[in-house]
Amino acid sequence: MTPDQLVASSFNGYPAAARRFAVEHLSLLQRLPLVVCPSFLQQIQNLDTSFPAEKESLRWQCDALQKLAPERYSALASPLAALSVSPSLQSLDWVQSPASFIPELTAYLWSSGQINQFRLGASALFASVPSREDTTHRLVFVMLGQGAQVESGKVLRKLSKQGVFFSSLKTATALQDIRQAIESHASKASAPYANWYVDGGVISDEIAGKLSNTTAVSYTGLSKLRERVLERMQGAVTLTSSSGGAEQIHTRLTNTSWRDVGASEITSDPVLQRFYTELFTESSGPQIFSTSFVQWTGRELIRRAQPQTLLLRYTPRQSHRDMREMFASATPSSFDPQGSFRDAEMGAYYNWIEMSRIAAPGKLTFMAWVENKPFAVIAGAGAPAGTICATPMSIAEALQNFG
Amino acid sequence: MPHSLGHLSSPRAISATRRDFLRGTIGALSMASMPRSLTAQTSLLRTAQKTILVTFGGGARDEETFAEEGQENIPNLLHTLLPQGTFFSQVINAGILGHYVATASIVTGSYERFDNFIAQAPPNPTLFEYYRKGLRRPATDTWVIAPSNGFQRIGSSSHKNFGPEYGAGVILPKRLLAAALHDNKATDGEALSHLLQDSYEMPEYQPLQSGMDRELHLDMLESSLRLSVQDFVQKARSLDSADELSIYITRQLMKQQAPSLMMLTLHDMDIAHSGSYSLYVDAIQRADRLCAELWNMVQTDPEYKDRTTLYIMPDFGRDADNDPAGNGFQHHRTGGAMARTTWMLALGPHLRQNTIVDHPIESIDLVPTIGSYLGFETASTGKVIRELL
Repeated sequence: MTPDQLVASSFNGYPAAARRFAVEHLSLLQRLPLVVCPSFLQQIQNLDTSFPAEKESLRWQCDALQKLAPERYSALASPLAALSVSPSLQSLDWVQSPASFIPELTAYLWSSGQINQFRLGASALFASVPSREDTTHRLVFVMLGQGAQVESGKVLRKLSKQGVFFSSLKTATALQDIRQAIESHASKASAPYANWYVDGGVISDEIAGKLSNTTAVSYTGLSKLRERVLERMQGAVTLTSSSGGAEQIHTRLTNTSWRDVGASEITSDPVLQRFYTELFTESSGPQIFSTSFVQWTGRELIRRAQPQTLLLRYTPRQSHRDMREMFASATPSSFDPQGSFRDAEMGAYYNWIEMSRIAAPGKLTFMAWVENKPFAVIAGAGAPAGTICATPMSIAEALQNFG
Repeated sequence: MPHSLGHLSSPRAISATRRDFLRGTIGALSMASMPRSLTAQTSLLRTAQKTILVTFGGGARDEETFAEEGQENIPNLLHTLLPQGTFFSQVINAGILGHYVATASIVTGSYERFDNFIAQAPPNPTLFEYYRKGLRRPATDTWVIAPSNGFQRIGSSSHKNFGPEYGAGVILPKRLLAAALHDNKATDGEALSHLLQDSYEMPEYQPLQSGMDRELHLDMLESSLRLSVQDFVQKARSLDSADELSIYITRQLMKQQAPSLMMLTLHDMDIAHSGSYSLYVDAIQRADRLCAELWNMVQTDPEYKDRTTLYIMPDFGRDADNDPAGNGFQHHRTGGAMARTTWMLALGPHLRQNTIVDHPIESIDLVPTIGSYLGFETASTGKVIRELL
């Protein structure tokens, strides 16, 4: 089947809202090349359990592409339409099962040497979608470094290049300052899923206790989900002569739904049930390392929920052990604060990159603070890149001066 | 976009950045100004030459190696080996960025297209087969030391004119250790499990399938490496990682067989798939140390000293920090320039020292180059690298 054969009844198996959306955009879907159409269908199929920002983004994207002048659209789509797709791939049911089709397609594009053309074509197509007007000011705090030995000259080096590095921060009121800043910012954002607190350990009452209108999620709080995903991974890892462990894991996890891992025991919200499940089924690392969990959760929140307020707290991950041991037991035997700090520094840098992608110019304040230490970075419109501030001040004062 | 994140978006830019940092670091001179080593001017019998290829794998980026911020991770490559060798700042891998298929492409000199996750012989002839058939070398003269999963078939191709008859011996150190532990009935098998593990994407070490399989490995231990099970297990207890185990096997092979053509694939750094930056960087630092150790082994072994060419190259890079399709260092899935552009360091008596070559080469160019230098034919689709002849 090819996209031009799509009709309204093709989506009869979709949930109601998804079906309406697909029919509304049928003329676009029919014109999309087969190498990108299933990606749209996957997002459409999941609309019922998507964040509001995801729904808006998808609609904006589809409307923009649908409105493109035919010649312009044709020029953008033709390089993608020119990519060959094997008959066996075409015969798969990519309309009803786009999530299963996409990994097969990706493997085919790699093996047929077409992945570069696909990258270029897809980038050009999506670059034609205009940016939405966005006046939202976004605030991000990252806390990291619990229990680590930290040297002034070697801390937060990548982030320091993006803003002001503080070497003499006063920490006595740090938690209170962060909480107040979040509380104040979150109070201006009443939309659902706009404010988040993610913790690599357990939710801190000191932080979360006074935060209303904020969704809090922790590594410990999702441990049941994680353990169930690990169990499924264990069952798929043995390499045989005919197929690889990595692909088996991926396939098995892709086919794991929130129902399979009992996400309803964690929350009654179907949007969160899917989101929390996919944090472990569509990733590598969060299943075993809390640092990977915080980085990945931050990334996925920014990409999908587009939060206005975000607090990410990295905590020590378990020490590196034999992979089989880590897969077999969700309970760590020891922790590695030093390695975790280096992981978190990179994670925080990636969190900044991700947030910079969605924030409007001049509308992001990003602060990373090494817990209980006088070191921090603020990146944002008021923080000149590559600057060092050695003046003692509190976090509240730092935000006032540079935030 | 509120911030400019688009630097280093092309292989040329990556190479230029790497080159600039290196010039500042080692003050390297241009290709034309460097004399060839005197040793190379003497007429050596090509067949007496030794060749070792090391893949600095699995997957290392510029940022953590030769770029400014990464240089602290590779002090040995930078300050000990690079001044003795020729450095290629732009090595392109235009093939599939999976470890087995990419490594197979390096040793066949052709971009292979098979499924990375299926253990299969490459369809194109390997360097080992070209070498053995072309120069009529014995089976004991070529070896591969490789991580276990998938790589067991890399020693020879399925090509009708070549095949196992001309292939390299393949040693999978982890399988060897597993067989030894089983035979030794070692009570500390669990304590050595860190030497057996594969990467996050290949987490489960494949259990040996049969008693015969174990026997074959134990036979290799004693016949090829001249190691008793007890000594091997004892040595393994002192090692920290699978890559260290591979270097130990290499050392033993050099002592006992003195092969003329060897390939060693390092793989610890693929722990990056777990998302742990610190473990990834630790593995790079370890690989850096092990490469220097290997070169030192070469220089102190009369069978190898002054007649060995060592090639060190990553199988490929990893995704760029700013590529929205990826998650930075963690994977190599985007096919972007950062993941496709790496480097190569070549050391040997016939090669220029302290030299940087800027123009692009491809990872498949090494096979025809080695063939051309040693004097055997290859059907590689790569091009001969003239600076290495």
